[in-house]
Amino acid sequence: MASTKTGPSNVLTGLARARKGVGLGGRSEHKPRPPRRYSNRVITLTLLVFPSVFLVVLIYGYPAVGAVIQSLHNGNLVQTGPYVALQNYWTDFHNPVFWHAVRFTVVYCVVGVFGSWVVGLGLALLLRKRMHARSFFKTLLLLPWVVPVVVTATGWNYLVATPSSPVPRIAQDLGFGQLLFLDSPGLAEFIVCVYKIWLSFPFMMLMTSAALAGVEEHLYEAARVDGAGAWQLFRRITLPLIARSTYISWILMFIFCIGDFQSIYLLTGGGPVSSTNTLVVLSYQTVFGDFQTGPGVAIGIIMLLVSVLVSIVLFRRIKKVAIS
Amino acid sequence: MSTLTPVTFEEGPEAPPGGARRKKVTAGGAPQWRYTLIVLIIVIVLLIPVFVTVVLAFRPQIQSTSHSYFTFQNFSYVFAQTQVLTWLRNSLVVTLATVLVAVLVAAPAGYVLSRGRSKAVSGYALLLFIAQSFPQIVSVIPLFVLFAKFNLDDNLIGLAIVYVSSTISVATWMMAAYFDTIPVALEEAAWIDGCSLFKGFVRIVLRNSLPGVLSAAIFAFLLAWSDFLIAVVFLRSDTNFTLPIGLQTFFSTNSTEWGYVMAVSVVVMVPPIIVFSFLNRYFSIGGIGGALAGR
Repeated sequence: MASTKTGPSNVLTGLARARKGVGLGGRSEHKPRPPRRYSNRVITLTLLVFPSVFLVVLIYGYPAVGAVIQSLHNGNLVQTGPYVALQNYWTDFHNPVFWHAVRFTVVYCVVGVFGSWVVGLGLALLLRKRMHARSFFKTLLLLPWVVPVVVTATGWNYLVATPSSPVPRIAQDLGFGQLLFLDSPGLAEFIVCVYKIWLSFPFMMLMTSAALAGVEEHLYEAARVDGAGAWQLFRRITLPLIARSTYISWILMFIFCIGDFQSIYLLTGGGPVSSTNTLVVLSYQTVFGDFQTGPGVAIGIIMLLVSVLVSIVLFRRIKKVAIS
Repeated sequence: MSTLTPVTFEEGPEAPPGGARRKKVTAGGAPQWRYTLIVLIIVIVLLIPVFVTVVLAFRPQIQSTSHSYFTFQNFSYVFAQTQVLTWLRNSLVVTLATVLVAVLVAAPAGYVLSRGRSKAVSGYALLLFIAQSFPQIVSVIPLFVLFAKFNLDDNLIGLAIVYVSSTISVATWMMAAYFDTIPVALEEAAWIDGCSLFKGFVRIVLRNSLPGVLSAAIFAFLLAWSDFLIAVVFLRSDTNFTLPIGLQTFFSTNSTEWGYVMAVSVVVMVPPIIVFSFLNRYFSIGGIGGALAGR
């Protein structure tokens, strides 16, 4: 993480740094202006940012409007169809599968965020110990995140999907009876959550070890002299010092989880009997499996509203956390 | 200007021994076998799904007459009898195009995010955050309809356009996070010497930001290489498939032939692993927290 080099000043803005006159001691009062007139600077900055704004509006703004229109019509993929007002939403709200998907989306996000955080933090802490081949291990541990989901889902499928797969066979030998991991709703939900944790812990590990790198050892030494135990060191020093980064990694992981399509779709396809459908998977299944474009897109719009509202709230909170 | 050399922000054995690192080391400097063993066991257990893929790819089919435990038969079959090479080429083209364009778009955007201080820049930061939290499932259907009008559906260019835009938020944060570490004073000195804002950005900031650029490029690579949702909606003809979609068709027709499925899986996972193992030390994601928060 950048902050390890520059210490706390990393969160200072470029402007603040300019005011401090980094590297040009004594320049604190007269900040050199960018060349030529002020408007020139604004024009350059606008031109620099324009391509990305254009892309974001094209790939997110335009489809958002299109999707809202689709959700208000009873059409198909090609034609808009007749206007039906909020009927598609009404259909969704009266569908028990929709409410199950809402419930599982919440479970999936909570388990995905905190499960992967606990594993990632644990590994990041462990990797701080003195050991052989640390960077090799660290790279290996990133594999679940680096290897494409299509591949790891295939590997997991092979391991757990059918009764003749290795994991069910081992479970049977251990006396658990015949467990059909992806055929019984409860177990399938469990496996999907475990798979998500497995996919996401490397990201959390990266974020956490970057934050941990900024925690200075002498703080621990001082606390140890005062007789603090390992748990107290963790609780009173490590956690508070990485709190900001932790909070940001939770938010990012939440966003990754709520919009996640492929890890569930490729492992279970949303089944058995829709038990592992999150809203995203249900939306896809409704549009491309059941050919009900209206209700399917309406689910997407509901998600969009929730995601955007939550992200605006979280964005404000991040700013507050950053300042404090 | 000393940042031309790769800078690793995380502690790790690749950092030179002694110096700043020595301080973080807990009592007793020698590496301990105890921890090495614990981590080794954890790594082995966690990577079973990956090992299984590799092992099965090199194992003979059950009905095969060969008695060895190792064979290239699965690979020679999928390369000779299926379109894996076409898909590999498609994936490489789309991914490299995405990486290139993503860097070209995100670098200037990251510069604005890092240096600009105004309401408009804050608004732009919020826009990026909303774009990141935008569920792709919502945009993919209207985009498909729009792209079909321009013949960009079932087309690798269309695919790359969508990939670029879905990497843009994180790539821009990564760039901004790195640009933040480069003192503004360097540009100010150049401005005084009559350098324009744009030249200052390219010649001073960008030239010294190789790790930031590579971080964003690696991220774009991973995302474009492994995407499934956009490709499965957009691509229709099997000559245009990318590897993830190709692997999937394999699955449905040959569900029992795990050897072939796993051989293709190995083909899918080798490029990102190669990229990551060579460029891992440049990759730093921790900084995006600062880029997100500092606006």
